[in-house]
Amino acid sequence: MAVIDVTDLRKRYADLTVLDGVSFSVEEGEIFGILGPNGTGKTTTVECVEGLRRPDTGSIRVLGLDPVKDGRRVREQIGVQLQHTQLPENIKVWEALDLYASFYGRPRDWRELLEEWGLADKRDARFGKLSGGQKQRLFIALALVGDPRVAFLDELTTGLDPQARRTTWELIKRVRASGVTVVLVSHFMDEVEELCDRVAVFDRGKVVALDTPAGLVDGIDADHQMRFTLMAGEMVELGGLPGVTGVTRTGDRVVVAGRGDFATAVTAELARHHVLVSDLRIDKRTLDDAFVALTGRSFGSTH
Amino acid sequence: MTKLAVVELKLLTREPGAIFSLLIPLFILVVFGSSIEPGDTVLLPMALAIAVGLVGLYLLPTTLATYRERGILRRLSATPVRPANLLVVQLLLQLVLALAACALLLAVAGTVLGAHLPTGVLPGVLTFLVGTAALFAVGLLIAALAPNGRAANGIGVLLYFPMAYLAGLMQPTDQMPDIVARIGEYTPLGAFRQCLRDVWEGGAPSPLLLGVMAAYAVVISIAAARFFRWE
Repeated sequence: MAVIDVTDLRKRYADLTVLDGVSFSVEEGEIFGILGPNGTGKTTTVECVEGLRRPDTGSIRVLGLDPVKDGRRVREQIGVQLQHTQLPENIKVWEALDLYASFYGRPRDWRELLEEWGLADKRDARFGKLSGGQKQRLFIALALVGDPRVAFLDELTTGLDPQARRTTWELIKRVRASGVTVVLVSHFMDEVEELCDRVAVFDRGKVVALDTPAGLVDGIDADHQMRFTLMAGEMVELGGLPGVTGVTRTGDRVVVAGRGDFATAVTAELARHHVLVSDLRIDKRTLDDAFVALTGRSFGSTH
Repeated sequence: MTKLAVVELKLLTREPGAIFSLLIPLFILVVFGSSIEPGDTVLLPMALAIAVGLVGLYLLPTTLATYRERGILRRLSATPVRPANLLVVQLLLQLVLALAACALLLAVAGTVLGAHLPTGVLPGVLTFLVGTAALFAVGLLIAALAPNGRAANGIGVLLYFPMAYLAGLMQPTDQMPDIVARIGEYTPLGAFRQCLRDVWEGGAPSPLLLGVMAAYAVVISIAAARFFRWE
């Protein structure tokens, strides 16, 4: 069952088109990634789904409800972690959780959340005194305190050190394991690759691709490269093998370009002719490559 | 809603600005109060006007603009609770703070300093309510227009001093140029101080000035509501 259905969202600010026909749906129990560089409409889309913004046109269903008309019933069942929001400096961790729990009809016990999110020893600490990672964990705990069916997490590892990011990823997997559908907005490829079941790739206000991370990478219409160094035996002709599109040799260094499963064919052929090679590497395609292939520009160049 | 009020009250007591709003007018009262004549009708109305002015023009707008700047209002709109609840709670708490500041001043003046307290309770309460409404309206407009908490703080302070001068809180109105004193009487803070003084002198506050303050309260509140942004 789709918990979120978004059809043809459009939004303009003056002469700037922010959303240009966005459609996707999120299935129950998955971690759904919304990926793209900054300023491509990711956050606007999610804020429309949360009912914080209205699209100019298009339809949105969250758990079968309209997030504007049935706003309260939708917000009762979703948990949100927003980008760039803070709490009052002087609020204590337990006070924030207790307060947010009181906003919902059937909240979770916030003491459990304190334990789960490793904040038990920070119970009485003031928000302003928390580290970046602790604040982030508190925000996620606040997003979950209403016992939501869907949690929206927007750029939740921005500004965290690599160790804290890894820890956060493990926690997000636990959220899904507990049965909550997660919508994850991110501009980090590695994060999306690690966590998401499916990803919508945003570019210039459009969804340019929607697939599993592996599917996106496999779908790249470009050559892979395989490199090795000749050790012993005579080099054989590889150009005619299925999938191979080019072979270049410089001394003992050989680079074979190809598509699909060409690497298996190449290694089999080498083995059959008793050609020994070393330093065998096949460049692994990443979501970065997928993004370049989809949009014709590199991910990093846009932000 | 109750929990929201309790948490906001706790936060207010942890806010140094709230303590200052209580202590600054008290300090002024005690410093000048030692040399007042019995039956003085000037100093206590001045101290009360300063107290309500500080809360309305400084604390209220700074708090609200900071809440918006930090995305607290926006975060709240993603929960089943409307962010307007937070504004209402804040307004009520700041009103309580203004009341507490005035009660503290009256208590200290009435006991330690042996100052004159007015007998007309009803005109006093009426003046307090209308005057506070006018000053809070100005504070709300500042909160609506200021892009962030620091700006609200700056505008509040920048507005407070000329308004305090015009209101005769820096020097007595009879030592001010006549025209300035006349203009000052029709500013929110000036009208408030003048009406309080009328009450202290045992009379009724001028209906004209009460009307002026009520008009400020209504017109400026409407403008604040018109310009207020949630994010």
